[in-house]
Order: sequence, then structure tokens, then C-alpha cells
Amino acid sequence: MMNKLHGIIFAYRSNPDLQELTQHRNTCSVPYGGRYRVVDFMLSNMVNAGMTDVGLIAHANYQSLLDHVGSGKDWDLSRKHGGLRILPPFSYADKLGDGTYKGRMDALAGVFSYLENIRQPYVCLAGGDLAVNLPLKEIYASHIESGADITAVCTSHPNGDPKNCDYFTVGEDGMVVDVAVHPKEPKGMESLEVYIISKDLLLEVVSHCSAHNISSFSQGVLMEMVRTGKKINAYRFDGYAARLQSVAGYFARSMELLNDDVRAQLFVPERPIKTKDRSNPSTYYGPDSRSVNSLVADGCIIEGEVENSILFRGVRVEKGARVSNCVLMQGTTIQAGVVLKYAITDKNVRINPGRMLMGHATYPLAISKNEIV
Amino acid sequence: MKKECVAMLLAGGQGSRLHALTSHVAKPAVPFGGKYRIIDFPLSNCVNSGIDTVGVLTQYRPMELNAYLGNGQPWDLDRTDGGVHVLPPYMREGEKGTWYKGTANAICQNIDFIELYDPDYVLILSGDHIYKMDYSKMLAHHKATNAACTISVLEVTMEEATRFGIMNVDETDTVYEFEEKPAHPKSNLASMGIYIFTWSKLREYLLADEADETSSNDFGKNIIPAMLNANEKLVAYRFQGYWKDVGTIDSLWDANMDMLSPENGIDLYDTEWPIFARTPTKPPHYTGANAHISHSMVTGGCVVYGDVENSILFHSVTVEPGAKVRYSILMPGTVVKAGAVVEYSIVAENTTIGSYAQVGAPPSDSAPEDWGIAVVAQGLTVGDHAVVAPKAMITSDVKGGAAK
Repeated sequence: MMNKLHGIIFAYRSNPDLQELTQHRNTCSVPYGGRYRVVDFMLSNMVNAGMTDVGLIAHANYQSLLDHVGSGKDWDLSRKHGGLRILPPFSYADKLGDGTYKGRMDALAGVFSYLENIRQPYVCLAGGDLAVNLPLKEIYASHIESGADITAVCTSHPNGDPKNCDYFTVGEDGMVVDVAVHPKEPKGMESLEVYIISKDLLLEVVSHCSAHNISSFSQGVLMEMVRTGKKINAYRFDGYAARLQSVAGYFARSMELLNDDVRAQLFVPERPIKTKDRSNPSTYYGPDSRSVNSLVADGCIIEGEVENSILFRGVRVEKGARVSNCVLMQGTTIQAGVVLKYAITDKNVRINPGRMLMGHATYPLAISKNEIV
Repeated sequence: MKKECVAMLLAGGQGSRLHALTSHVAKPAVPFGGKYRIIDFPLSNCVNSGIDTVGVLTQYRPMELNAYLGNGQPWDLDRTDGGVHVLPPYMREGEKGTWYKGTANAICQNIDFIELYDPDYVLILSGDHIYKMDYSKMLAHHKATNAACTISVLEVTMEEATRFGIMNVDETDTVYEFEEKPAHPKSNLASMGIYIFTWSKLREYLLADEADETSSNDFGKNIIPAMLNANEKLVAYRFQGYWKDVGTIDSLWDANMDMLSPENGIDLYDTEWPIFARTPTKPPHYTGANAHISHSMVTGGCVVYGDVENSILFHSVTVEPGAKVRYSILMPGTVVKAGAVVEYSIVAENTTIGSYAQVGAPPSDSAPEDWGIAVVAQGLTVGDHAVVAPKAMITSDVKGGAAK
């Protein structure tokens, strides 16, 4: 039986609060969890639910994203029929001029002809900037069973910045009775901005919003549905979910991965998170190395000391170097005798011998891609 | 489409001397070096040397090897023109056909495959050697010397020479004699089991060898001597660098340990000559608050709470608190329970070592003749407090022992 769900991932957002981390990429392709890009999580969630067709809506700054997902083969999405489709803003510029999408409805309107050709009856809409392991198969079953017009995934563990989040008030029947968009304080369940809706209804709301110049999904779809008495099924997911909305938030979400329980929720064996394969060898630990409470990807060479840190692929920590409470992205080289604390080094950063650099847990030091300190 | 050179990789051997490790897989599919299988080395060498057409001759326990090779994508051998092809023995009309009788017969049965590509040269490789080699340089040498066959050789000590096929050569490195494991070697040039043949010549000798019912259809025993007798030009190509035959437990263990010292062995981190592998996507490994890891390799999906020294951990290995792993090779999915000690051992996939069990022992604890690497086959359970002696080959579950 062909899967009845089609995936749409919004991969155009560049969160300005991520500063250095989004200088060369959008939020979806920010490295996270030692070897992944954030978008790997939602892509894998969809593939693990049996989806064979996924559209990735991109806008500006997507070269890094294209390089990462390639043909989609690492997610088994390089297919003769369907598979992964990157959706740049092909019909958007003519209509609304330059500038990025103002909201999800703009993004959907920008790929309207793609939406019309979707061959599945239901569509799963999700952001590519959320690290979570969602049971989308169960969420789809819940959508069908509820008979609702739309299913919205939400959590009772708010972790986003309220000014960037939506909150639901859920009634006793499990349906959303009120939606608060970007309030000052959290109010009820926090939306994970993952939805399941029928293709027909999606086309209808996209046309409606486009005609009325509405960019926001929350305002144009959710609030409108509450107003007109349509049914919004709230699917509660209380597992771990990481939103990457600021440098400090990125650092905090990364450090949470050192908790066994968090990793168990994010790396579920039956729903593996897949990513681009790079053929790295195993990580080598030297005779005098030390690595405690750390998450270390393949291809690293560690001869110094590493503590409470996340190391991406191909990181080198030379003899006598001491790294604690850091996130070292792919290809970082920490030379002999360096002391590094509370820092995030982007790809291919090199810290020269003997340097001492320290940030703070609430204000980590972020070092941009390819920098030499 | 025509290819200048096609590689044929002999991967049908059982590897009976690896016993417990090849009870479920052919030798070329035995895991190696933390991330790889033995066959990744010759396959990656082919790709890095610009050879894009590889026939893999399989026979013994081919299922896992076939699944591993798949469409060849991890090696960029998933091609419309060429690529990797698994070649098992097959039946022919009139119910003729046999298993591969010998290395030469395996190639002879696949003449049709080779001729699809109309090659000028054929490269013959084995699936049980660990090395990095640029075959394009060997091919250039073959062409420059206008040889019918070029044999890659390694300079070994005279003492070691008694264990190898030895090429006796003149001052131009032209081979005049081949001796298999000579008691009194005349030269120290050991054949590495890597041959380049001019295809028209090889085809001729393969067909003649096939017609000879007394032949054992083997390259070393039959084809090479026949070519020497007929005064064909056979040239030795001197290889410099790391090369190891991993046909025995000891040599497999040694070669794995060599990977920990790139200056003595192969530098797996060298990006100029990468070794590719098909590996599952696992999260990064986690080192616990009291973990102690030194001079070791650790792979994705591992969780280490105990001590790991001079060892190689493949993906998804768990070392529980208080467990000690020394001078050992733990293949994917091994679990070493709390307090267990694993020393000088090879533990195959998905085997569990129970709490406070002792597997293997250091050489200093026993008489030299009683000591060796302990091997535990895949999918087994060694019970709590059990003791597995050094040199043991464990192929069924071991009951738990008495608490000490």
C-alpha cells in the first residue's frame, strides 16, 4: 500500500539570533548533535513513517542545504517516482518581489504548482529547524481517527522563546479551543509547528490566504479554523524536542544531549536519524587522552583532554589541550596546550597552540567558520 | 563499453583458519579496523586507482557479502557503465557447471563477463589483504615493461620467505622461477596475490588450463608456472608500504592493532586515499563520567563507561561501568557487562560478555604454547562470572561460572 502522507519541510528560515551559526547557512543546516544537520531529524522522521515523497522549501542561503541533502539517497529518497524535491522560490519573485518568505503561507503559495501535483491525499507540514524524533505514523493515525480538519503537534514542555512560538488551549475532547500567536508568556501547550492536513484542504487554505495576502500559517489557518468552528486535533508529544533559536539556546540544547535520557528520546533505535555519509574512520584516542561525559563523532583524533563536550566528525584535540563544555564542529583543530571552555567552534576552526579562550554557560563564545584564533 | 582494465576480486574463500569468525560470513566480509570489512581495502584501492569495473567472485556464504556490496554505492561503484558485479558460479545448458574449482577456474567461468568490457588488461585481486595500493602505477609498469603478467611483490625477510610464494628474478626484475613456500628461498620477493595480465594472454592460458583435467586450476600452482614454461614475460612489481594477509586469527588481530599506530601501518585518516565502507548511521559515541580510553579506536553508537585500552571498538559496542577491555577487538553490537574483563580477544558481532566474566588473558599469565588470542563467535552469550581461556575458540554460549 502506498503511503498516504506527503512531506513538506519548511527549510527557508534563517534565525538572526543564531548569529555566527547562520552566517553561512540557514537554520535547517546548522550542525547539531555531533554529526547531524538539524533538518536530518525531520527528514528522517518522515522517512521513518514510510513517506516516499518530500518537498523541501528553500529560499535564500540554501547552498549548504543543497550540498547536505544531495539527491536524498542517504535517506532513501533518491527515487524514480517521487523522492526528495528541493523547492526554490521559482514562482515567488514574479509575484511578490524580492525578499524572503514572510511566513509559511507565502512559502506554500510560492510552490503552489508543486502542491497541486502531490499524489498523496494527506500532507505533513513541518519545520526543518526542530530536532525531534516524532512518531509521525502514530500522529497520522491520530489525525484519521479524530476526524479533525487538521492535526497540530504540541508539547506540555515548553522550550521555545514565547515571542517566536504559538500556544494552544486544548479542550477536554483533545481539540484546540484557542490559539495564542507569539505571546509574551507561554500559555498552554507549545506548538511544535508540525501539522497533518488533507491535500484538498491545504490547497484551499493556501489559495484563500494568497488571495487575502495572509502570510502567517497560525493566523491564516489555525486562528481562522478556531473562528469558524473547524476541528483542530491537538496531538500531544512530550518527548524531547530542541528548537534552535539563539546562540545560548543552541549551546543549552547541545549540552542536554549529554543526558542519557535525552539521547534515548532523540536516538530511538527503531526510528534512526539518518544523515549524509562521509566515510570517516573510527575515532582514535591517544595514550594520554581523556574523554569524559562527552559525545564524540567518528574520524576524530583525540590526544588531549575532553570533558562535557560535543565533538563533530574529524575534530583534532592535540596533546596537552583541554576542552571542556564546548561544541566543536566538523574539522575543528585544537592545537597543543590550548584551554577552551564554554565555546562553540564552527566548521574548520583552528585554535593555535597555547591559546586560552573562555565563554560562559549563558553566553558561550561562538567562533565563525574557518576562523584561525 | 570498452574498459582499459577490469578488476576481478576473488572473494569466495571460506577462510577456514578464521574459523569462529567465518561461520556465518565469507572472509572478505569479516569486520576490520573499526569501520570496515576486509573487502573495503581492495575495493577502495580500485576506485582510488581509477578502476570502475570490478567483478567480485563469490562462493562460500555469500549472503552477507552480497548484501554488503549491494549496488556498490558506498564505493561509487553504482554505475550505469561498469560498477561492481557479484559473480557466483552458475549452471550451464546440459546441466553442466561446477563450483569454482580454483582461482583460475573462477576467472575462466567468467570470461563472458570480462569480454563485455573488451579490456586490454585484467587485474586479479584477493579479498583477504589489508593494504593501500595505486593499481594505476602497477598498470603503467606492466605496460612499460611490455609484460604478459605483472606480479606485485613485497620484500620480506629470508626467514619469512619460507611462508610465501617467492618470485626469483633477474637483474631487470623479470621472473625466471616461482617457488611456493621454498625451504631454502633464493629471493625475498613474496607474491602479494595481485596480478595484472594482458587479457589476450590470460584468456589463452585460462582456456588451456581448463582443458587440462589434471590441473588444479589455480593461478599460483598452474597459470604462472605454465606461462613461465612457455617463456612469457613475467615481471615483478616491487610494492613498498603496508601489506598484511589476514588469513589467521593472529594476523587479523595484529593487523587490527597496526591500525592504532598509523606510522607503522596504514593511515586511515589520510584523505588522499580514503577507504570507503558501507556503515549504518549511528549517533556519535558517548564516553561516561568515569570512562578511561587510551590508544584505542571507538566508533559511532558506542557507549563507554568502563576502561578501554589498546583496543578497537566497532559501532554500537557497550562497555559498562567497571568493565575492562584491553588489547581486544570488539565487533559491532558487543556488550561487555559491568565488571567483565576482556583481554587479548576478538569478540564477533552482537555477543554479550556477562558481568565479571573473564575472556582471554595477557601472554605473561600462561606458558607460551598455551597462550593465544581468544575468539568468541557472533551472537553468543558468555555468562556472568564465566572464564574463557586464552586461545579458546568459542562457538556456542558459555554458561555462567561461580561467583568469586
